[in-house]
Amino acid sequence: MAISGTKRKRVSKKSKLSWRKHTKVKDIETFLDDQREEERLGAPLEVLTNEQLFVLDTKPQTELLTLREKRRLRATRPLKGFAALQPHTGVPDPIKKRNRVKTKEERQKKLIKKEDKNRKAKEIDAVSQRRLSEIRRENERNKRGNFSLDLWGDTISLSSESTIQKKAKEAPKDLHKKRSVLPAVELPHPGMSYNPSFKDHQELLQIIVQEESKVIKKEKHLARVTKDIFRKVSQDKQQKEWMSEMSQGLDLNQNMKSKSTIKKEENYDRKAIKQEKHSARRVTKDAQHNEWLTETAQGLNINEKIKEEENEDDLDRISINPPTKNKKKTLQQRRKQREQLELEKQRASLKREKKKIGDIHKIKVLKQNLEKIENKQKKLRELRKVRLDKKKLEPKVLSSSKIDDPGFDFQMGEKISGNLRSLQKEGNILSDRFVSLQKRNILEPSKRAHRKRPKIKKYVKPGHKDDWEVTIARENKLLSKK
Amino acid sequence: MVSKRKKKYSTGEGAQFMTRKAALKKLQLSLNDFRRLCILKGIYPREPRNRKRAQKGQSGIKTLYHVKDIQFLLHEPIIWRLRDYKIFNKKVGRARALKDFENLKRYLNSHPTLKLDHIVKERYPTFIDALRDLDDCLTLCFLFSTFPSIAHVPRDQSALCQRLTMEFLHIVIEAKALRKVFISIKGYYFQAELKGQTITWIIPHHFSFEPQQKSEVDFKIMSTFVEFYTILLGFVNFRLYHGLNLHYPPKFVSMSPNSNEKLLVDEDIFVAERVNALNVSLLKTSDAVDEEIEIDNFNSEDGPENIEDAKKEAENIKKLKTLFKGLKFYLNREVPREPLVFIIRCFGGEVSWDKTLFVGATFDENDESITHHIVDRPSVSKQYISRYYVQPQWVFDSVNARDLLPVNKYFMGEVLPPHLSPFIDKDRDQQYIPPEERALYDPSILEEQHKKDAMEMEDQDEDEDSDDDAKEENESPETENTKKKGKLSVTTGEVYKEIPWEKDRQEKQAYRLREKMIKKKHRKLYKSMMEGRKDRAKEIWLLRKKRRLHDEKKAGEKPIKKKQKAK
Repeated sequence: MAISGTKRKRVSKKSKLSWRKHTKVKDIETFLDDQREEERLGAPLEVLTNEQLFVLDTKPQTELLTLREKRRLRATRPLKGFAALQPHTGVPDPIKKRNRVKTKEERQKKLIKKEDKNRKAKEIDAVSQRRLSEIRRENERNKRGNFSLDLWGDTISLSSESTIQKKAKEAPKDLHKKRSVLPAVELPHPGMSYNPSFKDHQELLQIIVQEESKVIKKEKHLARVTKDIFRKVSQDKQQKEWMSEMSQGLDLNQNMKSKSTIKKEENYDRKAIKQEKHSARRVTKDAQHNEWLTETAQGLNINEKIKEEENEDDLDRISINPPTKNKKKTLQQRRKQREQLELEKQRASLKREKKKIGDIHKIKVLKQNLEKIENKQKKLRELRKVRLDKKKLEPKVLSSSKIDDPGFDFQMGEKISGNLRSLQKEGNILSDRFVSLQKRNILEPSKRAHRKRPKIKKYVKPGHKDDWEVTIARENKLLSKK
Repeated sequence: MVSKRKKKYSTGEGAQFMTRKAALKKLQLSLNDFRRLCILKGIYPREPRNRKRAQKGQSGIKTLYHVKDIQFLLHEPIIWRLRDYKIFNKKVGRARALKDFENLKRYLNSHPTLKLDHIVKERYPTFIDALRDLDDCLTLCFLFSTFPSIAHVPRDQSALCQRLTMEFLHIVIEAKALRKVFISIKGYYFQAELKGQTITWIIPHHFSFEPQQKSEVDFKIMSTFVEFYTILLGFVNFRLYHGLNLHYPPKFVSMSPNSNEKLLVDEDIFVAERVNALNVSLLKTSDAVDEEIEIDNFNSEDGPENIEDAKKEAENIKKLKTLFKGLKFYLNREVPREPLVFIIRCFGGEVSWDKTLFVGATFDENDESITHHIVDRPSVSKQYISRYYVQPQWVFDSVNARDLLPVNKYFMGEVLPPHLSPFIDKDRDQQYIPPEERALYDPSILEEQHKKDAMEMEDQDEDEDSDDDAKEENESPETENTKKKGKLSVTTGEVYKEIPWEKDRQEKQAYRLREKMIKKKHRKLYKSMMEGRKDRAKEIWLLRKKRRLHDEKKAGEKPIKKKQKAK
């Protein structure tokens, strides 16, 4: 047996120092180094399979993420503050069976865990379902114009608002009746063509001129009746006139007289007026009572008469009318009256009889009269019908304001270009529709109410008043001067 | 016992009417909601016979409604939706003021919506009723389709209007229902016939949107009308499409559902796409054979003349439907494309336009098979010999004349003949129409006149060398006569003496008898009618005579002038 190599030298490893010097641990150290390295860097490349080594690159390296996505991505990462708590080595725990506190989930019973899982799955399902139905509902709702049924088909049940359908209220009988005989889209006058014939265009202009002249005539009439009645006067002139009117009867020359004379005159005037009034009153009263005074006062003494005259105030209260007197007819008078009445009646009946006989002879004339009346009524009826037909074309009065009808659209000759390229538009279809609806009694004519803005009360805050210099600054100045 | 005294206005007209204010109180609605409800339900104010009584003695003019109408409104389920709106607005306002955006979003997502299907059905019990009332609807929808989003006109409303009107135009194209067209200064008038109902509508000229003055029109009200009309038009479209075996809603290649975003970017692109959509024919679910309606020969009260007229009309329309068939049109870029594409496609023509400018051109400008090039400018630098260069009015006038008009008057740069209205009244034959105007309506007369003029010109030429022609003319009839004689065979016939005026006389007699059969009620009317007719005929005759004399006089003057020139 050949023992290779040199014989190992026996060395004493008695002391600690020599033990350390002569024991060989290099292989162990390299092994441990390798292990540490493996822990740090992972298994050596030779050992790894292709799948572990390589990844199929399917995504672009530089992904364009929106700010929102980036933020969302960042939110999924663990917080930076807790990074220090995380283990940073791949060294496995040397104690395989380390005693540790179980988490809440681990502690849960299996049965409950299973139930919980089911519940969660259901919840997730419900959420997704809800979202789906929401989307579906939104699609149904927000999409206007989803026409998927034949409204006038044979079998159709319109889903009304409520599930339990009440018996629908019967529509008014004339709901389907048109409110006007006018057509919805009025056919255009041939003169409204973009390239009208001369005759048509002239006709259209003629119509417009006629309408316009009517309006002008009416305006003129209104102006004549209202505005032109009053004459126009300037302010100064009016003032002057007013002065002259008010000072009518005052003799301006008399101003020259002294005050005393004026006063005297005034006194005199007052007296005269009083007397005049007194006498006048008496005269009128006298005239009023003249007749019955003479009748009634026959038995009265003259003194009394004088007395009465003296206290006229009492007289005012006494009734003007003479007192009533109960007159009675005698029996004879009554009989005669009765007889007269009877006679009158007889005479009337006789006359009637006579007239009857006369009428028989007059039958022809009567017939003619009747016919005349009938004819007249017939004519009136026709006239009324014509008027009614005419009225049908006019809009009904539905509100207090009137329709502002712009009339026919037209172009003057110079505006007509004669070809489609340089055509100029005239008229507005929207306002035309609006007026048409009003004319057809569908809309009530209305004036657009201007919304009044509330008046804002303006005032300056005390601190911002213009006179601050006068009030505050001045005081300050004065203070500083002192 | 004395019977209870009757209160004033508890019966009769006083009880029949209700002021608007009272109606508001009864319905518990605001004025705006009430107006909206009335428009949707088709309830309008009334005019009473006796206003004083209807207003219960109040003076002034008040807006009145029938009590029964208001009671009808009271039972309408959408009244609750309107009240919901009120609540919704309050909630939203509150949330907004508190800046509670979570709730605000929730509220806005669940806003109440009005469903109007049942109202459409209620107001138009039959489909024909709906068609009859389509004029207003179409005009308003076409108008609102041009609107941007403004106050009271939400964007989705105008978008819906655009979609529905486009669908309607397609149905008119498919049904070949267009009858009359007219360019007025206000817009394009179109008249179509669907299911026997004539429908007239106006499409505004394509200009940029001009803002409306607020004082003129109440936008809120008009928008409510449009809200109802869009629903109506949608259901009408649905029915019409299914009647023609077409799929509804139609899908256009260029108009994707997400085109709303594009709309925001550029309106021109959107318009271009819409026009392109018009140029694409729809797919049919099944090939249906067009029904040819034969007019029956019943002896109705109308008499044979009317039936004849109806037959003639039917034939005319049949001809009109294929007016542009086989023709290829190319639209120059300055031409308004939307109406022209619609019209040309309605009558079976093919259209295209500049492919570099707009989407969806089907053929190029240099296509040799193009028959008509529609131009609206005085001259074009590059011209093709194989086609006519005509102005757009030719298309419109041809449709109205129901025949392809001679193009010479409509050539590029020509001064156009007047564009006449097709909507003139029928009794125009009782008016004097000068020959020039009549020629505008009937091209055959024009040709005749042309020939006549040409003949006259020739005559004048011929005067100079008439000798040769005269000889030829003398020879030609003789030769023809001889040829004819050889072919005919003569048989001996019975002697039959025909009085030439006998037939006329008998007809006249029958006519007089028929006149006598007129009821007493109508006799006077008939008499006055006939007199009027006679008068008008006389007037026409007189004017014709005057014209003839005038023409003759002019014709007499002409040669004299010529002679003078020659001298």
